[in-house]
Amino acid sequence: MHDHGSHKEEEPKGIPRLALIGNPNVGKSVIFGYLTGKYVTVSNYPGTTVEITSARAHVNKKEYVVIDTPGVNSLLPMSEDERVTRDILLNEDIEAIIQGIDTKNLRRGLLITLQLAEIGIPFVIALNLFDEARSRGISVDADKLSDTIGTTAIPTVATLRKGMDQLLKALQNPRVSTFATHYDRRIEDGVGRITPLLPEARISKKSLALMLLAGDESLNNWLHEHLKEQTIREIDNIRLEVQSSFSEPLAYVINHSRLMASDRLLKEVFSETGKRERDINSFLGRWTMHQVWGVPFLLAVLYGFYQFVGVFGAGTLVDFLEDSVFKGYINPWAVKLFDYIPIMILRELFVGQYGIITMAITYAIAIVLPIVGTFFIAFGILEDSGYLPRLAVMVNNVFKAMGLNGKAVLPMVLGLGCDTMATLTARILETRKERIIVTLLLALGVPCSAQMGVVLGMLGSISFTATLVWLGVVVGVMLLVGYLASKVIPGTGSDFILELPPIRLPQLSNIGIKTMARIEWYLREAVPLFVLGTLILFISDKLGLLALAEKIAAPLVVGFLGLPIKATEAFIIGFLRRDYGAAGLLVLARAGQLDSIQIVVSIVTITLFVPCIANFFMIIKEQGIKVALYITGFIFPFAFLVGGILNFVLRYYQVAL
Amino acid sequence: MFPVFVLLQGRRGKVRGMSYVQGVQDNLLPSLWLSVGRGIEGGKSDKEVDGEEMSEHNIDELLELIWTQQEDGKDSLTELLRVTVEENAEDVLKRMAQAGFVVISGDKLSFAPTGEARAKEIIRRHRLAERLFTEAFKMEVDEKIEYNACEFEHILSPEVTESVCTFLGHPPTCPHGRPIPRGKCCEKFHKEMKPLVTPLNELHPGEEGRIVFIAPKNHTRLDRLSTMGIIPGSIVRLHQKKPSYVLEIGETTLALDGEIVREIYVKRV
Repeated sequence: MHDHGSHKEEEPKGIPRLALIGNPNVGKSVIFGYLTGKYVTVSNYPGTTVEITSARAHVNKKEYVVIDTPGVNSLLPMSEDERVTRDILLNEDIEAIIQGIDTKNLRRGLLITLQLAEIGIPFVIALNLFDEARSRGISVDADKLSDTIGTTAIPTVATLRKGMDQLLKALQNPRVSTFATHYDRRIEDGVGRITPLLPEARISKKSLALMLLAGDESLNNWLHEHLKEQTIREIDNIRLEVQSSFSEPLAYVINHSRLMASDRLLKEVFSETGKRERDINSFLGRWTMHQVWGVPFLLAVLYGFYQFVGVFGAGTLVDFLEDSVFKGYINPWAVKLFDYIPIMILRELFVGQYGIITMAITYAIAIVLPIVGTFFIAFGILEDSGYLPRLAVMVNNVFKAMGLNGKAVLPMVLGLGCDTMATLTARILETRKERIIVTLLLALGVPCSAQMGVVLGMLGSISFTATLVWLGVVVGVMLLVGYLASKVIPGTGSDFILELPPIRLPQLSNIGIKTMARIEWYLREAVPLFVLGTLILFISDKLGLLALAEKIAAPLVVGFLGLPIKATEAFIIGFLRRDYGAAGLLVLARAGQLDSIQIVVSIVTITLFVPCIANFFMIIKEQGIKVALYITGFIFPFAFLVGGILNFVLRYYQVAL
Repeated sequence: MFPVFVLLQGRRGKVRGMSYVQGVQDNLLPSLWLSVGRGIEGGKSDKEVDGEEMSEHNIDELLELIWTQQEDGKDSLTELLRVTVEENAEDVLKRMAQAGFVVISGDKLSFAPTGEARAKEIIRRHRLAERLFTEAFKMEVDEKIEYNACEFEHILSPEVTESVCTFLGHPPTCPHGRPIPRGKCCEKFHKEMKPLVTPLNELHPGEEGRIVFIAPKNHTRLDRLSTMGIIPGSIVRLHQKKPSYVLEIGETTLALDGEIVREIYVKRV
């Protein structure tokens, strides 16, 4: 949720590449951090890395570009993030690969090992999480494994830097595995017929031929770039011919042979001694997704969040920073400082009503920063504990009604951190329909940390009923829109198959680093937009445009939503960032200019309001300009419609909040 | 006969897109096919028939009808003659009474012991066949099923009937809800309390099963499951059923849709 920037630089050609490949959630990003000294988000759930991150590093005194990749279960891609990884092998000049394996899940790791052996790039294996495996009574004979597959396997505990020296040493001389998987004769025949048709590539022709036999459609573009139409047809015919002699799909037949081979390997190197003890973590793991106990647990988590972010962050910390630090010291000092500057316009620009210091910096540092800071800490703990995927188990049935499955809860919850990054994470979903629905719901109703903190702060000042009304309306609207979207948007949903990581005790150091990295990202991305928003308000005010905009918006804001005209400003800057808009409302509320109903109506409207600029650009990047415009075009009037109806209902029934 | 024929002409190891481990399955489906194959020839000869065999068929049909009438609490001869579609039913019934299958006294029609035993077997085969079509082949409950079950009831050998019954987990009723008469294999079942192959979702939480075959609706699903290590031969533990299914395969914990879990067939271990 913070790694904007680092992956965007093109690394120069000519420097050898080192790629980290492996199943999801095996610690690739931790190894990446060790090698490069660069932090990328590390969490305890599959799919944390959805984009390639690369950085230059000196490994064994030699310069490399190290590439971190999204986790895969097979090199035959089944989703967008898996395709990204396979394409690196296909398109980049990889000198060596580090395969990360979760030792206790060696069987599934070996499935990838066999495919890496096939593609013919030298690699070493990090048998990671070796300590966790041992605590479960599992031991793996690393030497024997190395001998059998003809490459080097090193037991590691990357988070504690154990075994990393040996891993680096092994990287000095990475070997091409000599291990060959045996397939059915008919498959081998097919491979033998396809390989002569293939061009030279970065990975072995045999591995390409197997991917093609398996009917890997994601290779389509590559094929058309490298081969003649006729040859492609020829290959397709061979595939169909081979397929006709099997009743199961070829991809399955091939996978099956690989699994059989890895099972034979497993027998030699893997042993389970004694019974696995059921510790407190596995106990927690079970009842956090229990059909009865899972619900109170979820409520307890939400309550904890509310207390920490809403009451402590948005209450105590904001009070301290805004009232004591900014109003007490910084702003008066700034005003005094500008007293020495006789130019009126400069004074107003910095410390006036729409001043960069008195408005933009105050909002960013005094109001939003403590809220996002506490949110990032709480969220980091949740991420590293492994709770989030279990949440998916709890909500799968609800999400099914919206044409999604439980897996979509991951981007949705990430959206509570930052909708922009969450929109990118939608890649872990398999179908375009699902990605669009999630993108829409994120843009529509999931408040990002900053915005939610502000919202919780405002609601905390009214009543619990108000909080419920807000929550009920927003969740209800999302369910309704999700349901309708699933009917309107063409395409299909996908199967719910989600791996649940073990519950782990979060490491304070990782949470600390992660929180700092995210705060740094927030300051870098949000503050400039806050300043820009303030500038726009300042200029509009000076030119009289603000008064004009307020006049135009008056029927809508005052008449329909029943809010004071001043709230228009909040919506205008809400176009830049919703949290900035919400902060504007908070300031109004604190000044006593909004009654309870106005507060609820205004925050429901701003919660549902258009996605912020950054999110909008991310939607364009991921789903295209058309989808982005459709989504925004729908949300803008819709948010006001819901706000207006809510205003009408609350007033008509004279609901006491 | 057509759908049955499609099934039979497929290669060994393939039953409508299912895949399974041969070792475990060898004592089930393949034997089903071999014997059914034999039966089909018998079925063919049915058509080139002489009177003797024709009446065998008629006797079976009438025994079946008497059984269902009795289930409904009816024993009237006139009523039976009214609903039957068999030609010369009255003559055949008379011959059946002479052969000691049924007892006719006035309008009251009842089974003699031999007839009852034979009727029970026919009914059992018929209803098991219906179960097989709906459960294993996912066919709709309609007339086609009825028609094919009628064919099956005459050709299933005793061994195959037991295999089918065991394969289906000794179902107590047919898809229409009528009871399936118990067979020898079911008695064994009562002792063991365990059918050989059950859909994974029928395991109790905490139980383990070895995957026998997977019958997925689409191929991608099969590929995806296989990369997670879910293939025939793997041992899975059903962790929980609600709010979503959670399985454990080795050290991997997976959450899945119930729909997928139902397509995985296991043998308890």
